[in-house]
Amino acid sequence: MSGLAPIEPVLLSRRGKPDSASIETYLEDGGYASWKKVLGGAKSGEWTPAKVTDLVKASGLRGRGGAGFPCGMKWTFVPPKEKRGDKPVYLLCNADESEPGTFKDRLLMEMDPHQVLEGMMLASFALDVKHAYLYIRGEMVHVAELLNKAVADAYAKGFLGKDVLGSGRNLDITIHRGAGAYICGEETALIESLEGKRGHPRIKPPFPAVSGVWECPTVVNNVETLCCVKHILDRGPEWFKSIGRNEKNTGPKLYCISGHVEKPGVYEAPLGVSWNTLLAMAGGVKGGRKLKAVIPGGPSAAMLTAKEVENLPMDFDGVAAAKSMLGSAAIIVMDETTDIPKAVTSIAKFFAHESCGQCTPCREGTPWMHKMLKRIVNGEGKKTDLDLLLQIAGQMGNGMTICVFADAAIAPVLSGITKFREEFEAYVAKSNHPDFALAAPEDLTNKVADRTAAGIHS
Amino acid sequence: MAKVTVDGKVVEVPNDANALEACRAAGVDVPHFCYHPRLSIVGQCRMCMVEVEGVPKIQASCTVPVRDGMVIKASTEKALAARNATMEFLLINHPLDCPICDQAGECKLQDNAVGAGLPVSRTSEPRRQFPGYDRTPIGPHVIADMTRCIQCTRCIRFCEEITGTGELTFVERGGHTFVWTHEGRALDNDLSACAADVCPVGALTTKEFRFRKRVWWLDKTRSVCDGCEIGCNMSIEHRDRIVYRTLPRVQPAVNDFWMCDYGRFRAEDLNRQDFLKPEIRVAGSDARKQTNWGEALDVVKIAIDRARNEEKNIASKGRVLVLGSARLTTEENWLLKTLFEDSLKVGTPEFVVDKGPKRRIKNKVDGWIYGTEAAPNSRGCEAAGLKRNRPGDGSALDLLLSKKSFSSSSPAVLYIADAAFTERANDLEFVLLLRQASVLIVHARVKNALTDAADIVLPSAPLSGKEGTFVNAKGRVQRVDTAIMSPPVVRTDLEILLHLGGRWDLLDTRWTARDVFENMQASVAGYEGLAWDSDAVVGNPPSISPAAAYDVLGLERDPDVEVFSRPSVAAPDRRS
Repeated sequence: MSGLAPIEPVLLSRRGKPDSASIETYLEDGGYASWKKVLGGAKSGEWTPAKVTDLVKASGLRGRGGAGFPCGMKWTFVPPKEKRGDKPVYLLCNADESEPGTFKDRLLMEMDPHQVLEGMMLASFALDVKHAYLYIRGEMVHVAELLNKAVADAYAKGFLGKDVLGSGRNLDITIHRGAGAYICGEETALIESLEGKRGHPRIKPPFPAVSGVWECPTVVNNVETLCCVKHILDRGPEWFKSIGRNEKNTGPKLYCISGHVEKPGVYEAPLGVSWNTLLAMAGGVKGGRKLKAVIPGGPSAAMLTAKEVENLPMDFDGVAAAKSMLGSAAIIVMDETTDIPKAVTSIAKFFAHESCGQCTPCREGTPWMHKMLKRIVNGEGKKTDLDLLLQIAGQMGNGMTICVFADAAIAPVLSGITKFREEFEAYVAKSNHPDFALAAPEDLTNKVADRTAAGIHS
Repeated sequence: MAKVTVDGKVVEVPNDANALEACRAAGVDVPHFCYHPRLSIVGQCRMCMVEVEGVPKIQASCTVPVRDGMVIKASTEKALAARNATMEFLLINHPLDCPICDQAGECKLQDNAVGAGLPVSRTSEPRRQFPGYDRTPIGPHVIADMTRCIQCTRCIRFCEEITGTGELTFVERGGHTFVWTHEGRALDNDLSACAADVCPVGALTTKEFRFRKRVWWLDKTRSVCDGCEIGCNMSIEHRDRIVYRTLPRVQPAVNDFWMCDYGRFRAEDLNRQDFLKPEIRVAGSDARKQTNWGEALDVVKIAIDRARNEEKNIASKGRVLVLGSARLTTEENWLLKTLFEDSLKVGTPEFVVDKGPKRRIKNKVDGWIYGTEAAPNSRGCEAAGLKRNRPGDGSALDLLLSKKSFSSSSPAVLYIADAAFTERANDLEFVLLLRQASVLIVHARVKNALTDAADIVLPSAPLSGKEGTFVNAKGRVQRVDTAIMSPPVVRTDLEILLHLGGRWDLLDTRWTARDVFENMQASVAGYEGLAWDSDAVVGNPPSISPAAAYDVLGLERDPDVEVFSRPSVAAPDRRS
């Protein structure tokens, strides 16, 4: 059986069931079986944290938050007890789903909060965590309320609290609401925010696994990742590995498809499903129009042209090979009617608004790019603007900032201008910028280059 | 220690140093804004970019801990391009009004723009403004102008990590981020003006100095604060005989980079000189007349000699009572003691120290150190052999002040070497007690109740006009230098005493403070083996910019060599 064959929904298996968020229906559907199984075997030594970690490692599960870092390996970065001493380990479930076009975690939490909680419980067992946090995006008020109820129910049934199910182990889960900042989805910013500070990403190293929240070892996992952990424990790593394009891209994946498609929504498919299959699942391009571009992983990912995305395996490595990224699989489809410069401007506005303001290149660069793009689409662009935009973008990313926000912010600008340059040039050609009334505008860009070559200012 | 190679040069730096510090140790100047040796590392200005061998991405050097064998490439094309980029980003929204900015001349942004900036501006977008957050006082001393802020967070970290008061915070986010006080609070702590010091740009400036002088016209002289016995090293900044401000002078063992607001804003008072000529009482009158030094010192000598002769006759002690002052240098106090006790044999000079409000300063060695006295040099007075007055100790001064002596045993002469030796010098009742002396002689700069009551006033110079040494609370001997010459006729206390001694041929009037220092060394505890010119006594030179955070990690470096260095590429001939 090909790993890419259509699958029965796993993560979304309980979508649409009446009262699917309640603990009763969850238990009816066999929920918390793995939690009971693992805790039941903990005393006898049948189940150990190392065994859970090994299963997750064997499954090849890669983090579903965006970077696609192998989940099991991340867990092993936590220093062993001898090294960390009295410091507790914390598990943070990253539910600060803020990438435009991403809505899979919200669906999981709304439809099946206990699935998320069970995933957190199992990961807590594997990491020897006594207190786990779920950091939820501030805007999702009703989801936070729902989760709080789910947590209360889990406590009432004895799945959480002191001496869980008689295993002698304690586990608490706290739902923490953010204050509505995109950057708090970055794991170190999330940690800062959870500590009550401004959501500023931290300098790494030290990585959270060594020194995270309250300077204790911390693992941050995405909602969907933790849900996958539950299913790996339910059905075993072999089953998980049987789904997916290859050894490195395994398991079911939720794809959030939005934009110009007939049926936007969350779709579950094997990781690595081809673009064409995915588009077909979403009912094809809206109104039967032609596809122009696809953003495969939220605005932080470089946009792909219709040609580039054709038959592309939609997994971490497949999209990376096309010089973009799968990210959180927030796929935004743009048909031939889309005005790319306007789309890029809109994305640039988002990033200018969401930059945390810590590092100079990002704090100053993102609004600068937005101002220029806005000027271009408002018909006041200059000839030099496009090259300048590319140059600004070129000097923001690749280590110039503490976190990768700047790299995310420049991806749509770089890809938009390089792949759809003629559309931008069309705007500039129609420009009524006062510079055009003058004689040929001075090309400062070249002047800078000349002077750089002469070593004047460097 | 770790061996690190910077641009081919191998240096040894402490293991806890970072790459930026290693570069500085190697003499490679890496421009920076947010790094400060006493504040936590945040790595957010992204100015100090360097390449580190084996690390693919460019690195902010302040965030990279050194390790043995590390190879740092600080001057590669990639590193310079990265710094160019950061400079460009910082300047796209920064106002270009350096001519009317008070920070100009000591602005790190200006400096680094010369060293690492682009020669042209590539932006044509409107610059960011912060309406309502410009030119606004945010505390008793500090004025904030957020259009100039580069969001380096040095001030925020200063208030959190050094004073522990945490008044400042980031407000808003992204391009709108700015620094302000927390809702309902003011930047009001005892070190608040240091926040303006650490500010590399003109975003935070002090109300007291703002727009009073262009900084490049100021001369800087080493001095020591006389506000309390901590003895913070400071530099007096002056021009044309006017002191404009005092700034902390780095001294890791005492005040580190800091100085308290109380000490800092005493600068204004240094410009006050109420007495410009010696004054002596007109016989049989309440008035004094101005006179010259010759006559004034002659009168002083006559009064003292008469009292000494009386003393011999009636054999009563304390007919000449001499008061030194913990506000004077050790040299001056030692001269008092030498002249009056050792040569004229009129008894040991005494001194009084006021308890002041508790002052504090933080350094890395001791943490907080506290000052409780209102004068800088009580330890120097004691070392020089003066007697510290304690109420009830039966000394001549105690008798005088205990109101028991309205009798013939009151001193014939009371010689006070500093009319402002105590707060109570403005208290009429206290002055009345002192006035029991037949002849009251004071050295004075500032008018007070005591000078009003004095018979002879000898005009003396302020701290900025003299040199000598103070001994601080930790027993550290620290030198002050002459910043400005006082107006003609006004003399330093040292000169007054030397010339007075010269009237009896007891002291050499040609002596300088240094001569006194060297002559008293053998007999003054704590001064043995010290050299007048030694680094320990002199301290560090004033920094060029208050925001300069030069290295104090014990790495060899001349703090006078500052800020940026241009790569040695010849500029093209612009004349052609």
